[in-house]
Amino acid sequence: MRIRTALLAATCAMVLAQPLAAKELLTIDLVNEPTTLDPHMQWNPDSYYVYRNIFDNIVTRDNDGKIVPQVAESWEQISDTELALTIREGIKFHDGSDLTAEDVAFSVKRIIDPEFASPQLGQFNKITDARVEGDNKVVLVTDGPYPALLAQLVKLSVVPKAIVEEVGKDGFNANPIGSGPYKFGEQQRGVSVTLVRNDDYWGEKGEFEEAVFRAVPDAATRVANLKAGTSDLVVSLDSDLALQLENDPQVQLLTALTERVGFMGINTTREPLDDPELRKALAMAIDREGIVEGILGGGEKVVSQMATSAHFGYVEGIEPIPYDPEQAKQIVEAAGDAAKTKMEFATAPVFDQRIVQAIQQMLNDVGFNVEISMSDMATYLKTVQQPEQGSRPYLSFGRWSCACQDVDGVLFPLLHSGSNWSRVSNETIDEALETGRSSLDEQERLDAYKTVHQLVHDETLILPLYQAAALYGGAAELEWEPTANESLFLNRMSWKEQE
Amino acid sequence: MAVFLAKRAGQALVAIFGVMTLVFFIQRLTGDPTYLLVPETATQADIEAMRQSLGLDRPLLVQYLSFLADIVRFDLGRSFIQNIPVTEIIASRLPYTLQLAGGALFVAFMIGLPIGLILALARKYKSSNILMGVVLAAQSLPTFWSGILMIMVFGVWLGWLPPSGSGSFAHLIMPSIALGLLSMATYARIARSSILDELSKDYVRSARARGVPQGRLVRRHLLRNSIIPVISITALEISQLLAGAVIVETVFAWPGLGLLTVQSVVARDFVVVQGVVLLGAFVTIAVNFIADILYSVVDPRIRLDGAGQ
Repeated sequence: MRIRTALLAATCAMVLAQPLAAKELLTIDLVNEPTTLDPHMQWNPDSYYVYRNIFDNIVTRDNDGKIVPQVAESWEQISDTELALTIREGIKFHDGSDLTAEDVAFSVKRIIDPEFASPQLGQFNKITDARVEGDNKVVLVTDGPYPALLAQLVKLSVVPKAIVEEVGKDGFNANPIGSGPYKFGEQQRGVSVTLVRNDDYWGEKGEFEEAVFRAVPDAATRVANLKAGTSDLVVSLDSDLALQLENDPQVQLLTALTERVGFMGINTTREPLDDPELRKALAMAIDREGIVEGILGGGEKVVSQMATSAHFGYVEGIEPIPYDPEQAKQIVEAAGDAAKTKMEFATAPVFDQRIVQAIQQMLNDVGFNVEISMSDMATYLKTVQQPEQGSRPYLSFGRWSCACQDVDGVLFPLLHSGSNWSRVSNETIDEALETGRSSLDEQERLDAYKTVHQLVHDETLILPLYQAAALYGGAAELEWEPTANESLFLNRMSWKEQE
Repeated sequence: MAVFLAKRAGQALVAIFGVMTLVFFIQRLTGDPTYLLVPETATQADIEAMRQSLGLDRPLLVQYLSFLADIVRFDLGRSFIQNIPVTEIIASRLPYTLQLAGGALFVAFMIGLPIGLILALARKYKSSNILMGVVLAAQSLPTFWSGILMIMVFGVWLGWLPPSGSGSFAHLIMPSIALGLLSMATYARIARSSILDELSKDYVRSARARGVPQGRLVRRHLLRNSIIPVISITALEISQLLAGAVIVETVFAWPGLGLLTVQSVVARDFVVVQGVVLLGAFVTIAVNFIADILYSVVDPRIRLDGAGQ
């Protein structure tokens, strides 16, 4: 009898203790499975959502977007082309070995090696060498002064030299070993990746013992999973689905303005859009407030420059071109037949077609002759990057993120006459962009970018539309602040049981 | 039999070769995966380097010959995007496709066949039209809608079944039903018309005249004789189900081959698409071959050298 009472008491205690116990497993629904877990290979959100928890980067950004130390404890520009990094001591890889300056130099050299063929090469190919100096210093050498280097190093993960050399590319991808707050657990191809907390992490430790990232391609299904309580965090929602989260006390909508800018590209080298007045009419015809509030409705913000406040190189004082369809109509009428040229508006299914159609309607309402040309992403990318500037599309819709929060990564590819996305040929702009890319003086860079933003505005060389928002759904208990760089750092998430 | 097998094997080889050639060239006509692999900021030189590392800069004919040479050595190549052998990717997805196809076929068979039988035997009653209506409705519901509806009802409101994913029997139930309902209607209609055909034949009339009871007539004579069209349909259905149920797999986050195929086509992961298509061609040929053998088992009058057909 006494035993039974004791058992009963024990059971009760266990049952009562359950809700108080910490949340052990966090389930996150992504769109697709990560295509690779080797951080130097494939570059896409579903991959880096996961591997950024397994690896530490050379530097990182805090929740306010400021670049802060991670593997590099401090850094110093020792000459125009050399940046010296001091490597933090006491960081251990998941196998117990020490992270050293050798590993950092190896990681840099691995990603810039053309033989290795990293898809991310384009983000780092201004680095020409990495050499180890002393016990804990690595000097990065660039092919010229390169002010955006630190912003790029936010994405450069440090891998263990000894292990990578031993197991090779495939072995490392199958069983990645990093130094981050979570260790690789297992991967079920097509299904999920499980990470396990690294209890020996040198920095902020994760709260959840395990995290599982699942592939759930359909957004409505992700929301259903969240509402049914089988997942705790889901990514990539749109505003319609976000509405479904509103009246449910079990779940919450989490949003963040990202560094992604929605824009309309204009081919300023092709008739009739080589006429700045007509380009201005394009801008005046588009009701950007209407698009942001009426169509998107996820907290997006109208922008008047190809940058957001999350970027270095965002400048104050660029006024938006006012929405004025009447005046646009007059300009188009005055231009006569030229304005009637049939113009293709290139787009791809990944973009929100409601916006594309609304823009087409608005432009045709003032007298333009715009035709939507929709193709799959691969074809779209090829079309807008035609080798001949003059044969790139008249108009195109796009959403741009350099994942570096520095306008160099936005303006240079889109506006420099030598870049493959650019449909602009303007010497002043080329010069300013080159200064911005190569000057180490922040003020000089800002001045250069102000020149660019102002010219883009005055001559309507490209039409910035809005700063995109990222919409996530979370369980009500989840405490997490999404950031502009669209990362899911598990050790910045916590769980608070509701009363 | 040996002649039949040899003939069939020859036909199969030609068919597979043709399919692979088509897939190889059609895909390459549709575009270039390189742009999808590099970040937006990549320069023309970066893009060119990537194309080279994928081997896509070589002349088409060279690519095709090396592709054929690899196939002969049973090497399907490596995925452009996942950087692992295609066989590994397909092997990880195939079990899920088999489970789902099995589940759907079970649902279709166990519901469709009895319904077809009832429809045929009860054709005199007006009320059987209602059942036909139900069958048509089940077939007409788009799965992206019925799937989400099931998820909302059984996964979210009632909480009886996991809303999506894989890994247990409970996970398999909803996708099997969503997918099976489509084939169920086909089964019901084929079974109905095939049984009706048989019913009008002389042997049925004489069996009835001899006083053979209805139950025995159905079991011993009708079902057996009307099963041939059902076998043909099953062969078609199996190859279709194995090729993948894209929408059902997407809605229920079921990691099958259909989803993989669509994602690979969109990503221009040529190598994966080639692998899946090769498997699809092989399965279709194999299943049809098995169906031919089954015909002769069910109906000994059919002989495999083709003389009886």
